[in-house]
Amino acid sequence: MSDDKNRVAIVPCSGIGKPFGSVSREAAYEVCENLRPDDTRLVALSKLVLGESTACATVAHCPAITIDGCKLMCAARMVKQSGGTVARELTVLDAYREHRDLKPEGIAELNEAGLKLARVLAEEIAETVAEIGRSKAGKGGSHA
Amino acid sequence: MPNLPQRKAGVVACSGEELAEGTVSRLAALKVLHELRPNDTVTICLPLFLAGGEGDRAFARFHPTITVDGCELRCAARATEMYSAKPAASIVVNELLAEQGLAKPEGCRRLNKAGERAVKAVAERLTTLVDQVLGKKGRPVEAKEVGTSPALPEEAVVTCSCGSGIPIRKIAVAGQAVGIVALPLILQQFREAGRGPDEAVARELLDAVKIYNSVPPEAEPDYRVALLREYAAFCEQEHPQ
Repeated sequence: MSDDKNRVAIVPCSGIGKPFGSVSREAAYEVCENLRPDDTRLVALSKLVLGESTACATVAHCPAITIDGCKLMCAARMVKQSGGTVARELTVLDAYREHRDLKPEGIAELNEAGLKLARVLAEEIAETVAEIGRSKAGKGGSHA
Repeated sequence: MPNLPQRKAGVVACSGEELAEGTVSRLAALKVLHELRPNDTVTICLPLFLAGGEGDRAFARFHPTITVDGCELRCAARATEMYSAKPAASIVVNELLAEQGLAKPEGCRRLNKAGERAVKAVAERLTTLVDQVLGKKGRPVEAKEVGTSPALPEEAVVTCSCGSGIPIRKIAVAGQAVGIVALPLILQQFREAGRGPDEAVARELLDAVKIYNSVPPEAEPDYRVALLREYAAFCEQEHPQ
């Protein structure tokens, strides 16, 4: 799944006010740099806010996984407003509810628990990316 | 702009995830917000201009705002101007680095040494601009401030993960509910000045409200009536007879 159009767009929320925003960013990097580098494309949310054509085209043509740091769900909303399809909406808060021992602290530099929470979230995203890939392969097979 | 309480400079970073310069913009903004000028600055997440409410979009009208962008796309500066108000000043990281002869940063996730130097340079420029827009020129850049200032009073605050929404209050204008940006702070300022609810105050209230809100000229008489009624109720609530 290395063709650009077959990649999954990963869109973190870019939240700057609380540690949850930093967890979303860290999780996105973990997926795009380490876990699924060939199957994903990181999209900067600021470009979607501006309506930058390349970023909008990426989310328009690729399924997107959004990672939001707060209930306002900026990443998910912006992908939809940009004409994209959100394959899965994830929130850091939900991940934290399932892992209360991993309380993120620090914004510029996450604490160890925050990094672990990001890793947990990243693994969930990586699995979703794999599912999307299998689903696409399955649909391709049925049409062959 | 009236001298409202807690006047602060707004800082909006692009936080671009795809470039090391985006990470520099984010970390430099955080350095100023948390270490260099914590009492003089507030921030907002850029996407809240679209995903948030009216209070969020009022950010740059309420705070003189400085944008920090990683690259020449200038997402933060352009989006701030499109959706809120023209920034008071702006920084583009790669332009500043070229101007100062500093190396290009590497590593979106973990900055290299050049990235760390870039953060310092951008934070220093940002601090200087904060002092300029607040009229506090001449303070040492590295002077770390102590203590924290209270957050904006929360009254129908449209908040965000940054907790920086502008307070708004809904009032009835000619029978219609209208959200007025910054009204709680404006009422508080007039009350602290010892002003009573009279016709002169009604005009001044409207002038202050018009700085942060769009008021159709033909609706101004209705706004004056509504604002005076709201101010009288506010004074009564503060000091019941």
